Amino acid sequence: MNKFLVKIGRGVGGVVGALYQAGRESIDQVVVNILPFMAFIALMIGIILKTGIGDWIANLLAPLAGSLIGLLILSAIIALPVLSPLLGPGAVIAQIIGTLLGSTLIANGDIPARFALPALFAINPQVGCDFIPVGLALGEAEPETVEVGVPAVLFSRLITGPVSVLIAFLFMPLLPYE
Amino acid sequence: MDALVLAAEWFIGLFKTGGDVFVSLVVGIVPLLIVLLTFVNALVALIGPEKIDKVGEWAARDGIIYYPVRYILLPFLAVFFLTNPMAYTMGRFLPEKYKPAFYDSAVSYVHPPLGIFPHINPGELFVWLGIAAGIEALGYSVVPLAVWYLIVGLIVIFIRGIVTERITAIMWARREAK
Repeated sequence: MNKFLVKIGRGVGGVVGALYQAGRESIDQVVVNILPFMAFIALMIGIILKTGIGDWIANLLAPLAGSLIGLLILSAIIALPVLSPLLGPGAVIAQIIGTLLGSTLIANGDIPARFALPALFAINPQVGCDFIPVGLALGEAEPETVEVGVPAVLFSRLITGPVSVLIAFLFMPLLPYE
Repeated sequence: MDALVLAAEWFIGLFKTGGDVFVSLVVGIVPLLIVLLTFVNALVALIGPEKIDKVGEWAARDGIIYYPVRYILLPFLAVFFLTNPMAYTMGRFLPEKYKPAFYDSAVSYVHPPLGIFPHINPGELFVWLGIAAGIEALGYSVVPLAVWYLIVGLIVIFIRGIVTERITAIMWARREAK
């Protein structure tokens, strides 16, 4: 009986401990990663909406974001092997372009809401391109693998970047938006 | 004097709009996010991330039926349990020739699940949130977009893994020839 109680106590203690630790981690993540970026995005959106820069950028992006051809071109440009490692860090560029598209063109109804799906892929063919050597090192890759792997991934993105937009475009009609 | 006041009002207005955006982000997104992050963090801690090591060993095998294991199942489990950037350490189970393709596949999946599993990459949430905000502004639910982003993402990383594996093989052969 005593043993049983101890076992139950340990089990409950373990679960409660894990939950509490999980709560601590999630608050950490929010304070360290999420809130600072929200502050940055809020400042940016505020300035964009108030100064009218938003209309200007929206006019610039509208022809690219509102058609399949435009999104394919956008993804191909971002996937260029010279540009993609530069655009990668922290996904800052993808987050800014995404916020611009979302808060101007999509929110105003300038481009159909369904285009959100291919747009999510069109703004992101450079994902992780800045991080290839480190990512491969985390996977304990040999130096030769890194030497071959970096250009292999960069060139692959030139193909798979636009392909991802195309696939998302095919799935677009399944979204229940107008 | 009037002009000065007007200018000051405009200047403050810039940040007032930003402040309103910040409040809407914090009130609308952060509470759900904290609870969800806590749940998933606890789940991962209780299951134990080392459980997926077996899948890593499994994914290392040659043969066409292991492609989905290597470029869909393993990247998904890796980013879900280990999150960005520790997910790439799963590459250590794979032979050198597959490492660049696995990295490409895994790193491309740190954004598509963000609408449902934000714990994967809380620092880069706005790749998803930026565009999702536009859908929300139109009065639609963002859940269908989140689900299709996750599903189409799996198809994209599968194709990306296969293409990068081919390109790596070609580049490796060329290097050997030299």
